[in-house]
Amino acid sequence: METIRNIFDFSDFPRKDLVIFGLFCLFLFIFPLIPHSSFSMATMIQFLMFSLYGMGWNTIGGYGGQVDLGKAQYAGIGAYTTAVMLIRWNIPFWVSAPIGMAFAIIWSFAIGYPLFRMRGHYFAIATIATSLVLLDVFQVWDFVGGAKGLEIPLKKMPSLMYLQFRNDAYYYYILLGLFFIGFFYINWFRKSRLGFQLRAIKDNEEVARSLGINAHWCKIKAYAIATSFVAVVGSFHACYNFNIEPEDIMSLDLSILIAMMAMVGGAGSLWGPIIGAAVLVPLKSYLGSWLGGKAGLAGLDLVIYALIIMAIAAFEPRGIWGIVEKARRRKRT
Amino acid sequence: MTPILEVQGVTKDFGGLRANNNISFSVQKGELLGLIGPNGAGKSTLFNCIAGVYNVTAGRIFFDGQEITNFKPYEVSRLGLARTFQIFVASGDLSVIENIMVGSFLRTRSRSVARRRAEEIIDLMGLGEHRDHWVSELPVAAQKRVAMATALATQPKMLLLDEVAAGLNPTEIDEMMSLIRKIHYDMGITVMLIEHVMELVMNISHRVIVLDSGNMIAEGKPEEIKQNPEVIKAYLGERYVAQQQKGA
Amino acid sequence: MSAFIGQLLQSVVSALLMGMVFALVALGLTIIFGVMNIVNFAHGEFLMVGMYAGLLFANLSGLDTLASLPVAGIVGFVLGIICYYGLVKYLLRGPMIAQLFGTFGLMLLLRNLALLIFGSEPRIAHHGILVGRSFVVGPGIVFEATKLTAAFFSVVFFVAVSWLLANTKVGKALTATALNPEAARYMGIPTERMNALAWGIGGASVTICGALLVNFWPVDPNIGLLFTMIAFATVALGGFGNIKGAFYAGIIIGFIIYIPPMWDALTQLIGNESLKAIQLHSFKYTFVYLAYFLIMIFRPNGLFGIKE
Repeated sequence: METIRNIFDFSDFPRKDLVIFGLFCLFLFIFPLIPHSSFSMATMIQFLMFSLYGMGWNTIGGYGGQVDLGKAQYAGIGAYTTAVMLIRWNIPFWVSAPIGMAFAIIWSFAIGYPLFRMRGHYFAIATIATSLVLLDVFQVWDFVGGAKGLEIPLKKMPSLMYLQFRNDAYYYYILLGLFFIGFFYINWFRKSRLGFQLRAIKDNEEVARSLGINAHWCKIKAYAIATSFVAVVGSFHACYNFNIEPEDIMSLDLSILIAMMAMVGGAGSLWGPIIGAAVLVPLKSYLGSWLGGKAGLAGLDLVIYALIIMAIAAFEPRGIWGIVEKARRRKRT
Repeated sequence: MTPILEVQGVTKDFGGLRANNNISFSVQKGELLGLIGPNGAGKSTLFNCIAGVYNVTAGRIFFDGQEITNFKPYEVSRLGLARTFQIFVASGDLSVIENIMVGSFLRTRSRSVARRRAEEIIDLMGLGEHRDHWVSELPVAAQKRVAMATALATQPKMLLLDEVAAGLNPTEIDEMMSLIRKIHYDMGITVMLIEHVMELVMNISHRVIVLDSGNMIAEGKPEEIKQNPEVIKAYLGERYVAQQQKGA
Repeated sequence: MSAFIGQLLQSVVSALLMGMVFALVALGLTIIFGVMNIVNFAHGEFLMVGMYAGLLFANLSGLDTLASLPVAGIVGFVLGIICYYGLVKYLLRGPMIAQLFGTFGLMLLLRNLALLIFGSEPRIAHHGILVGRSFVVGPGIVFEATKLTAAFFSVVFFVAVSWLLANTKVGKALTATALNPEAARYMGIPTERMNALAWGIGGASVTICGALLVNFWPVDPNIGLLFTMIAFATVALGGFGNIKGAFYAGIIIGFIIYIPPMWDALTQLIGNESLKAIQLHSFKYTFVYLAYFLIMIFRPNGLFGIKE
């Protein structure tokens, strides 16, 4: 069927790119089997999580061109749905995650409809506003534990149903599965009708409308797709961390990190979020641990992040992948 | 026969400024209609009212028998009325074929069908050599052809062309003329064009409408319009006409 | 009964005072936007810098915090100019997304530099002729001297800047650049310098505000976000680029912040138990975010219209 062909169609990339990616995938597959520290395993899991977060953000922020700085609220919805369902009704991850995703999507339609009447800076601020509102609500809502958050009770491990394992490798492989599902989905998405329409909207919205595209509705759809990615990772996060609190899963900081992955790596490209996560996650992880002992240096990692963002914004807004593409274009002409 | 486009008493105000004043005309299926007038006459405003970019202050518009007054641009496009823009592309993200595919996607959900249709249009418009280039890198004449190609990909019944000859040299203008004729005769699409380049519009139009300062001042065949004193006055000013008469 | 009326009046007074301060907070943002259509995500962080500057100066010099106003102003002016020539100049060349991310990165930078330098503990001014002083009027309405001074100086600076913009040669050049950059350039007005000046003035007005605030509002590295949101809500309400609008909008936002205590007083007056039980205090700022959202949906040009 045509759709299946499209999912695996990478024909618009040169052979070299695919080989590199193939090798990278190989590395991802064998990583837990080669000797590694628990710290590097934790970093790799973070990498996969943020790649997925970034891939989701990229649909509306990259291909859609609408910078969304409020994605964390959906991570929160996913995480809390899974946590609450497990704590109160013993519902396994594989049921609560889709339900969390459904709640997140409903909420995204509810605020997406008015939200996309705005553009540019105003839109970005509005996304922050909605995220902060939800954060405030969750901090006082007893049903979800208020500011203290929720603790996930331990089940008999290893538990595939509740996603609880002593050995991180299990978490890793499940997340890797999600990573590939997400990745192939995005490959299909960027060449689908919606993908083309979004890119046309980003290019010139007025022209796009004249071609029969309902821009408002397209953006809302892309926003919902981004939301689903983020919500699933949120659900995973709850199971992996064993406890969640609003400040941690719904904060502006998380929204910022989510947006940065694609922005730094290359918004609007297939590889962007993965490249971004590959650069930023280890950077934060290893920098954090190196400085960790040294009191008084908290925040240095974010200072470096900030400088990276500013440099990219000022000189190469298309991110790392943008630099690669530009170099290739120059070679062609 | 029902005209394919009917404009009835369209008036458009921008605050205190009346850009279109009670404009009425109709376009028959298969016509090639030119819309001319000095700068600021309200031609683009009229286009934008028809295409749904502006809401009219008064009046009604009908396309193929259906009322489309104040419809949104994407609704108008879906009914089969397409248009081009003067400023076509903002960023350089899409290649020529991808751009045209965006148009094709209006009529199909399938990527392969959209691609096939885009390829056909590329052949028709002679854009083969630019197929995979970024639109922003093309010369002006080619960009205009891409704009037209993209609009054509939506399989319109009628096409509004907005100053497609602006900025073209004489050879390119000739090519544009044949292209428009091809679209009109071969593809059977009704065409209405705004133009400043007289050789083009007077040569190919069946009928011409003239606007000046928001009003429709003349309507008729190109030969008649060329001689129409109101039209000459609008373009060259009262004093010129008076001088001509004195000299004659 | 009169106690609750007193409480209500107290809230109204405080709301007015805070509102005037918010007006000054928003002034810088609206000027920058008016002149070059860029939105400064780091606006609240500038305020934070002003707060720390005022505090440091007061602590180091032993002088009253009021004396730190000029220092804070200079710091803000210089910071604004540096930000312009060091970053914003390049951002203006790029797409809007880049501009957004650029000032966003600036916000992160300032916030985390503050964290590095000052640590995360909240600080507030402890000495000074006004701190802790207040006087009581009527049925128990307390006017805190610090808030009163802050409001007073906010109005003074607001009026001063508005006057400067309308009546000095430089101010008029700035306004001209805001209205029509192309025309301004043709008339010989150096756009680059106008842009830098806008950032300088914008920065200075908000850092001065910070120095005023730190007398009664504790500062910590994370406080910037709240004020950025307040500034945005104010500017959105007043109309982006509209200076007079920013003033009235500031007052309105001041009232929004005081909704919880006013609600308390009102419900006490009405005496309805179930209404009284609804505590709104945790949503003090939530209403501001909601206000921004609602304004942008229903009245994107603000209550008073955009750019005059």
